[in-house]
Amino acid sequence: MQALDTPVDGDSPEARAARRIAAAAPGEARDAEAELYRLLAPRARRFGLRHLRDAHAAADLMQHVMTLTIEQLRSGQLREPDRVLSFVLGACRLTVMDQRRGDRRREDLLERYADVLQIADLHVAPRFDHERVADCLERLPERERSVLVMTFFDDQPSEAVGQQLGCSAGNVRVIRHRGIDKLRRCVDPGRRAS
Amino acid sequence: MSATPQHHPSIEALLDYWLDDGDPAAIEAIDEHLMRCDPCGQALDDLVALGDGVRAAFRSGAVATMATDAFLKRVVGRGVQVREYRLPHNGSVNCTVAPEDELLVAHLETPLQGVERLDAVVTLSFAPDVQHRLEDVPFDAQAGEVLWLPKFDLIRNAPAHTAEVTLLSVDADAAHELGRYTFRHQPWPGG
Repeated sequence: MQALDTPVDGDSPEARAARRIAAAAPGEARDAEAELYRLLAPRARRFGLRHLRDAHAAADLMQHVMTLTIEQLRSGQLREPDRVLSFVLGACRLTVMDQRRGDRRREDLLERYADVLQIADLHVAPRFDHERVADCLERLPERERSVLVMTFFDDQPSEAVGQQLGCSAGNVRVIRHRGIDKLRRCVDPGRRAS
Repeated sequence: MSATPQHHPSIEALLDYWLDDGDPAAIEAIDEHLMRCDPCGQALDDLVALGDGVRAAFRSGAVATMATDAFLKRVVGRGVQVREYRLPHNGSVNCTVAPEDELLVAHLETPLQGVERLDAVVTLSFAPDVQHRLEDVPFDAQAGEVLWLPKFDLIRNAPAHTAEVTLLSVDADAAHELGRYTFRHQPWPGG
């Protein structure tokens, strides 16, 4: 598998923006900073949602990682701007570990670099009409509906759902996949089957 | 298939990733992939939003479903106000919904050993000619009961009526009645 810090990064829009920030006087490459923020903030937020399971904590992580990244680029401490993706992923991982330890550094950074946070809008995840989802759920076979409800009520993995249903994790995954595929196509009829 | 910068993870792999169903190496690979691939990130966002929709539909009582006691314990553990009725085999109950209730659950005791497939048929007294058949209901054979979670938002506003649930064991040859349960619903007094 190709790692994030391989040369392809140098041609990416993220790397180009990072190079412009690093080459400019601190704070003078506002357009590049906004571009980098627009590209990477939603990804950092998504990482936070996945690993912290909390929208507010994910937003905090996103802000912390982006301010840290821009500050490191401005100050020249991120010596290889082409590897900005690798840096951001590493920062996300460290921040998750810090958050789990209740580290205060994150809040200190947010206070110090609050001005940088104004440069781009927060990406908002798509939302589906809940009545439409409910209607589509009703159309699923009972077993698939039950597995989806038991899965998504609090985002349980297949093994936990299987234990609650008295069946194997593999069986749950098969039913879950079938159900989610039908649900996606029902909620968004223009979508292809996965 | 594992994710790499060149190979986009499937929807199934993204769902495994979100639900923590993959091994740590697969999760790391998708972390890396999502850091550079916005289309896959948006596909994941869609899945998460769909999961939010399922949760919202369930919490609002807009879907009926069958579940198990282990799942119910999770729901109660999350602070959901649940009204439960326990019906013995072939039993009946007078039931209602209080204003503070958020979920209605019926425990239907029934012998499940040896059952291959379980169906449930629901009829309502105000529409006696209409049968709602739930096919291939999930169940834990060891539990000796099935949990029915009816459409709560419908029942909350329903007038007095009787609902009958018939559980059927279905095999290759025929369907055999396992049990029949009667719910005599009354609206909450003054509700």
